[in-house]
Amino acid sequence: MLTGTIIYAIINSAILALTAIGFNLTFGISGVANFAYGAFYVMAAYGVWMLIHMAHLPYPLAVLISISFTTLSGALMYRFVIVRIKGQTLSEVIATFGIGLSVLELFRYFGFVGFEYTLPVFHDKSFIIAGAYVDAQRLFILAFAVALIIALWLFTHYTHLGLAFRGIAQDERTALTFGMDPDRIASLAVSFGAGLAAIAATVIVPLGSISPEEGYDVLIKALAVCIIGGLGSSGGVIIASVVVGFAERFTDSYIGSHWTMIVSLAALLVVLVIKPSGIFGKQKELEERI
Amino acid sequence: MKEKQWVFRYLLPALLVVIFIIPMNIFAADPIVIGVPTSTGFLEGKEGLKAVELAVSEINGAGGVKVGKEKRLFKVESIDIRDAAPGVPVPEALLGIEKLILEKKPAALLIGPFRSEALVASMDIIAKYKVPMLGAIAMTPASEEKIKQDPEKYKYIFRLALNAKYLVKYLAGTMGLINSEFGFNKVYILNQDVEWARKTAEIIGQAYFQKAGWTIVGQESFPTGTSDFSSTLMKIRASGAQVIMPIFDMPQSGILVKQWNSMKVPCLMAGFISPLAGPGAWKTFDQKIAGTINSIFEMGSAISSPKVPKSVAFLNAYEKRFGNPIEAGHGPGPAYESVYVLAEAIERAGTIESDAVVAELIKTNRQGVLGQVKFDNGHQAVYDMNPQESAVAAMFQWTPDGKRTIVFPTSLAEGKIQLPAGLSSLK
Repeated sequence: MLTGTIIYAIINSAILALTAIGFNLTFGISGVANFAYGAFYVMAAYGVWMLIHMAHLPYPLAVLISISFTTLSGALMYRFVIVRIKGQTLSEVIATFGIGLSVLELFRYFGFVGFEYTLPVFHDKSFIIAGAYVDAQRLFILAFAVALIIALWLFTHYTHLGLAFRGIAQDERTALTFGMDPDRIASLAVSFGAGLAAIAATVIVPLGSISPEEGYDVLIKALAVCIIGGLGSSGGVIIASVVVGFAERFTDSYIGSHWTMIVSLAALLVVLVIKPSGIFGKQKELEERI
Repeated sequence: MKEKQWVFRYLLPALLVVIFIIPMNIFAADPIVIGVPTSTGFLEGKEGLKAVELAVSEINGAGGVKVGKEKRLFKVESIDIRDAAPGVPVPEALLGIEKLILEKKPAALLIGPFRSEALVASMDIIAKYKVPMLGAIAMTPASEEKIKQDPEKYKYIFRLALNAKYLVKYLAGTMGLINSEFGFNKVYILNQDVEWARKTAEIIGQAYFQKAGWTIVGQESFPTGTSDFSSTLMKIRASGAQVIMPIFDMPQSGILVKQWNSMKVPCLMAGFISPLAGPGAWKTFDQKIAGTINSIFEMGSAISSPKVPKSVAFLNAYEKRFGNPIEAGHGPGPAYESVYVLAEAIERAGTIESDAVVAELIKTNRQGVLGQVKFDNGHQAVYDMNPQESAVAAMFQWTPDGKRTIVFPTSLAEGKIQLPAGLSSLK
C-alpha cells in the first residue's frame, strides 16, 4: 500500500508539473499571467477529439494538428489582445480570464459535455511495479514529463531563442540593448505556454475525460503549483509539484478522498502566509523593497 | 389563354391558402405549453428533453390532447438551469425555473431539477405558482417527506423517476443475489459527494448491509469531478473487499471502472455508474468494462425488455428519430412517460387548470414504458419487481462481448451474474 502510494504520488507529481509548466514559462518570460491557460488545455483536448471523431484523422496526426492550432491561438491572443494592454497586470488578467471563460462556456453551450468526450490511451497495458499495478499511460506521462523538463532546460540554456527568453526574463531593458525584441519574445512565450498546455492535455486527458470544468481545475492547479513554487521559477514548479503531488496522494490514501481536492489550496494558503513570493519566488517582499 | 394561366398561377393558390391554411391558424386553439427546466447540457437532461419532444410529437401527430371539447397541441419550452454542473449555486437553478414559469406560462413542468438539492429548494417556487411538475431525474426522498408534511401546499410535485429508497431496494436485491450465488459478504462503498448518492449509501448501509450480515470494509466520498481513483483502488485491494459498490452520476465516474480494470482489482463491481448505462459505453471505455453490474434506474432509460413492450417501442422510436440510441440510464424513460401521464390527466380533467390536473394525476394508473405507473401518497411513482403491477428498474451486467444482460429483478432477468476473470466464488 505504501509503495503503491509513493509510485502514484510520483506520477501525480509529474502530472502536476506537466500541467503547470506552460503557465509558469509564460509568466516567467513575458510577465503575463495567462488566465486562459485552462481553456487552451481543454481546447486542445476537444480539438483532438473532434479531429478523431468528426474528421476521422489518425490519432497522432490529430494530436499534432491540435497542438499546433493551440500554439497558434496563443500567439494570436497575444498579437490581438494582450499586446494592447501589456504591462497593465490587472487588465491582462481580466482579458485573459475573459477569453478563457468565453472559450470554456462556448464548449458547454455547444453541448460538449458528456462521458463520450475522452481520448484513447497511447498503449493499453498494465505493469506490476513493486506490487502495484500501473498502466502504461501513467508510466508514459512520467517519462514524458522528465524528458520535457530536460528538453526545456536544454532549450533555455543552449539555443539562441532560449537564451533570449532567459535574457528578457532576467532584465527586459538590458535585453533590449542587445537587440532582443521584448514583444516578439513575449508573443512566443505566450504561444509556447499555450502549446505546452496542449501537450499536457494530449498526454493527461486519456486518463480522464474532457469537460469545460476541467479548464477551471487545470487553471487552479497550475496557479497553485506556480504560486507555491514561486511564479516564474522552473525549479520551484518542480518542487511544488512534488510537494502537492505527494500531499494529494497521501491524503487520498490515508485520510480520505474528499479531502484531496483542498490539499493544494491549503498548501497554497500556508505558503502565502509563510513566504508570499513562493518557495523560490523572486518577487521582492515588502521588507526587501524597503 | 393568358387569363386562364393567371387563374391557375395566382388566383387558385391564393384561394387555397384562404380556404385551408388561414382558418387553421385563426381558429386553432392555443398550444398547451410544457416547460422543461433541467440541466440540458448533461446527458440525462439532454436525452430526457429529446424523449419529451418525441412523446409530444407522437401526441401532436395523433391530433393533440383533448381538453374538454377541443383538441390542443403540446408545445415544449425548455431552459438549461445548469444545476448538474459542479459549482453552480442552487439559487441560479431556481431563477431559471421561475423565469420559465413567468415568461412561458407552462401548464406543467416536466423532468425538473437534476440535483436533489435544487429539487427540494424549488418546491416552494413551484407551490407558489401552482404549476404541476412531473420530475424525472432528482431522486431524494426528502421531497416526498415535504409533500407528506404539507400535502395541500406541495401537491403539485410528482416524480416518475426512481427515488433513492427504491434504488436501495434494487441494489440490496442484487447484493442478496450475489451473496446467495457466490457467498460474498465484504463490500467497499464508493459514492459521489452529492445528496442523493450520500443518502443512497447511507440507507443501503443501514437498511441492508448491516442487517444482512455484510461487512462494509470501507466507504469513500468523492467530490464531483474526481477523475483519479487509483489510491482508493489500492486501498480496496488491501482491504479484502469482494464487491465494490459505486454510486455516481458524474461523467468522470466511468474512469473508475477503467482503472479498476487496468489495476486488476479482484472485486465484483456492482452499483450505479451513469456513463456505463448505455450501449455506447463499451466503445467509449475501450471495451474495459466487462463484468461490471450497473443499474438502469427506470425501464426505458437506455434499456428495454420484451416483458415491457412499450419500452422496446420507445427505444426504437427514439433511435429512429434522433439517429442514436439512448445512453442515459436515468431520466429519458420517465421523461417520455411523463408526457403521456400529463396528457391523460388533462384529458380526464377536461381542463389545464392546475388543481384539477393534479387531482387527476394522483389517480394515474397506466401501463407504459416504465411498467405500471401509480403514485403513492408522497407523489412518488411506485417501483417494485413486477412490471404488470408497478414501475420497474433493472440491473444488468456487461458481458465480455460488449452486450448488456439484465440479471435482476428475476421477473426481467435474461441471464445469471458472471464473475470477472481473477475472481472466484466462495461457494
